[in-house]
Amino acid sequence: METTKLQLLKDKANRAMGINPSDALISKTYMFIAFAALLLGGILGLTQGLEKAGLITLPEWLTYYQVLTAHGFLLVIVLTAFFTIGYFYAGLSHTLGGLLPKVRTMAWIGFSLKIIGFPLVVVPVLLNDATVLYTFYPPMAASPWFYIGLVFIVLGVWMCAFGAFVQVASWRKRNKGQHVPILAFFATGVFVLLFFGSIGVTIEVLTIIPWAFGWTDTINVMVSRTLFWSFAHTLVNIWYLTAASAWYVIVPKVIGGRRFSDVLTRFVIIALVITNIPGGFHHQIIDPGISLAIKFMHVFMSLVISVPSMMTAYAMFSVFERRGRELGGRGLIGWFKRMPWGDVRFLAPFIAMAAFIPGGAGGIVQSTNQLNQVVHNTMWVVGHFHLTVGTTVMLTFFGISYWLIPYISKRVLTPKINKLGVITTIIWTVGMALMSISMHTVGLLGAPRRTSYTTYGDSATAASWDPYIIVLAIGGTLLMIGVILQAYAVFHLMFRAPKGETEFPIADVEENASETPYWTERWGRTIFLMLLLIAMAYVIPLVDMIVNAPPGSPPFRTW
Amino acid sequence: MKQAAYGFALFVFLALPPVARFLESVMIMHMHMQMPLLVIAGYMMARYFQLWFPGFLAKWNGNGIPGIVLFSIVVMYWNLPRAMDESLELAGSELFKFVSLTFLAGLPLRDSWQKVGYACRSTVFIGYMAISVALGLLYTIAPVQLCNNYLLIEQITLGWGFLTTAICMAVYVVYRLMIRHSEYE
Repeated sequence: METTKLQLLKDKANRAMGINPSDALISKTYMFIAFAALLLGGILGLTQGLEKAGLITLPEWLTYYQVLTAHGFLLVIVLTAFFTIGYFYAGLSHTLGGLLPKVRTMAWIGFSLKIIGFPLVVVPVLLNDATVLYTFYPPMAASPWFYIGLVFIVLGVWMCAFGAFVQVASWRKRNKGQHVPILAFFATGVFVLLFFGSIGVTIEVLTIIPWAFGWTDTINVMVSRTLFWSFAHTLVNIWYLTAASAWYVIVPKVIGGRRFSDVLTRFVIIALVITNIPGGFHHQIIDPGISLAIKFMHVFMSLVISVPSMMTAYAMFSVFERRGRELGGRGLIGWFKRMPWGDVRFLAPFIAMAAFIPGGAGGIVQSTNQLNQVVHNTMWVVGHFHLTVGTTVMLTFFGISYWLIPYISKRVLTPKINKLGVITTIIWTVGMALMSISMHTVGLLGAPRRTSYTTYGDSATAASWDPYIIVLAIGGTLLMIGVILQAYAVFHLMFRAPKGETEFPIADVEENASETPYWTERWGRTIFLMLLLIAMAYVIPLVDMIVNAPPGSPPFRTW
Repeated sequence: MKQAAYGFALFVFLALPPVARFLESVMIMHMHMQMPLLVIAGYMMARYFQLWFPGFLAKWNGNGIPGIVLFSIVVMYWNLPRAMDESLELAGSELFKFVSLTFLAGLPLRDSWQKVGYACRSTVFIGYMAISVALGLLYTIAPVQLCNNYLLIEQITLGWGFLTTAICMAVYVVYRLMIRHSEYE
């Protein structure tokens, strides 16, 4: 009884005083690295966009593919991983009454492991010894140190995942029979996926290292690719789940409403955790060595993921409509006009959600065998992930940064920076629309992806792609402006904005909400089902790939 | 009662010749999809029998042990490679598979699971885990075809299916041993 009272008092104090400085430092450090990676990755993105359009020529010592590798690595691995960890650790600290000292230690150990890993990854890339793109699968072989660096990064992420599990378990012990607060529930789902999703890629990397050192002669390329995509597709959905946490929990508070059904929210998280990892196969839909029946099964498994996404879309618009009508909106779309369009904390995630409609539709196209054959190796795919990751995920992260950074820095969002945020969002939207639409279109016309500037021997067809590539470069330039503005806003909010307390916006459940069943808290069961589904999905193709394996491939250096 | 109707619909669906033929065309789908689904159909239909024949079940399965024994015998029988082979060759055996897994395994499992104690439930679970390991090793190591109807590669695949199922079950057992629900709920 006494402990509960003490805990309640502590929670109240936490809420009143804001975040504990030691917890804030963890999130601030992660956010700093994340946005520094955005700035650096953005510059590299613009560089390769201009090179691809033939507008600049890179110096001898820096190749297009090196830039592409670093761009992908910084934005797809560093930015997203650091943002996700920084955001959820702040959320865990806020909703679970402060981080435990041992969890803080784990977060710092995780950080150190990642920081040890980075130079091991980056230096070979800079030395042109690891120009294997961020997908890094064989038969292209980088310097073995590149893969060793990746191992350290994965270990760092695992340490953070375990820290989150310890924190949640401790809270549950202190709050018997209660539901874990919704943001911590999202964090649990994300960290479960981060841990289990990265087991496949860890096995892959551990088989690549002896091969890259020359201790083993060959490697099974198909198995490596399969293990890689089991991770990479999960990573995509980790970003999505992170973004969705803000949509479900934060955005309703920002607009002054209440969040949608707690039962549905938790169901969506559980469904995404269970069904996610096997989705990786749709990235291999035109790979040889996988039978059509298996591919068909995986199209189904991939499309299953769209069910919770549809639920999310419905839930979000329902929240908006309800709030809009409360504010006096009438008619079919009158409520829509009542939304706080001038508030970057709403505008950015709203555009992010809207972008997910074409983004998701494009994803369904790519999961479909025949349609994928048309677009697979073209710029369409690049357009797709710039729409999903570059817009849906990034704009949500930007939206979060305008309240999270002031919250952890004990500063406030000024109207000026809010306005800057709105301008950044608009520039980003226009830039990404130009870039993504031109990428999709030129992809349909046949322009291949992952290629530096070439005229293909002055081919007329290739020349017809040029106007689109120029539009792409214009979009990329606008995005660079967006990156600079966003990085400025983040660093300003972190170090220069006026001091003060900022709220961590968490919406309450709706009135008269039905009670959430307790089975949602049974993570052991959820993980058991997830593992069963992974076994069902992977056993048949992996056994086939290993038992009927070709001789294997020696390492190749294609650059 | 709705659940019993769904169970019956699932049973009918599984018995449709194209569905049955498709699921039986791949060894691992035969054993790890069709057979468990038949048990699940029976499990769902059990509600009907519990409501309509309470006296019968109370008389013959009062403490749940007979039902669990029946379930275990039927499931063990269908784990024999020869039994699976026969169901593809003999119509009678195929019919017996549908009837036994649904009504002599799924149905008693549900009626018994709540009646038997924790020790019995754990024994069944761990027993099935051990059988999965044994069959997994048998199917992956055996150098010859154990079923006339399936190729060696399918047999190895099924073996790995058993082993991964056992791994999942082991993870669950470790989770249950390490984590006491009473500390959290």
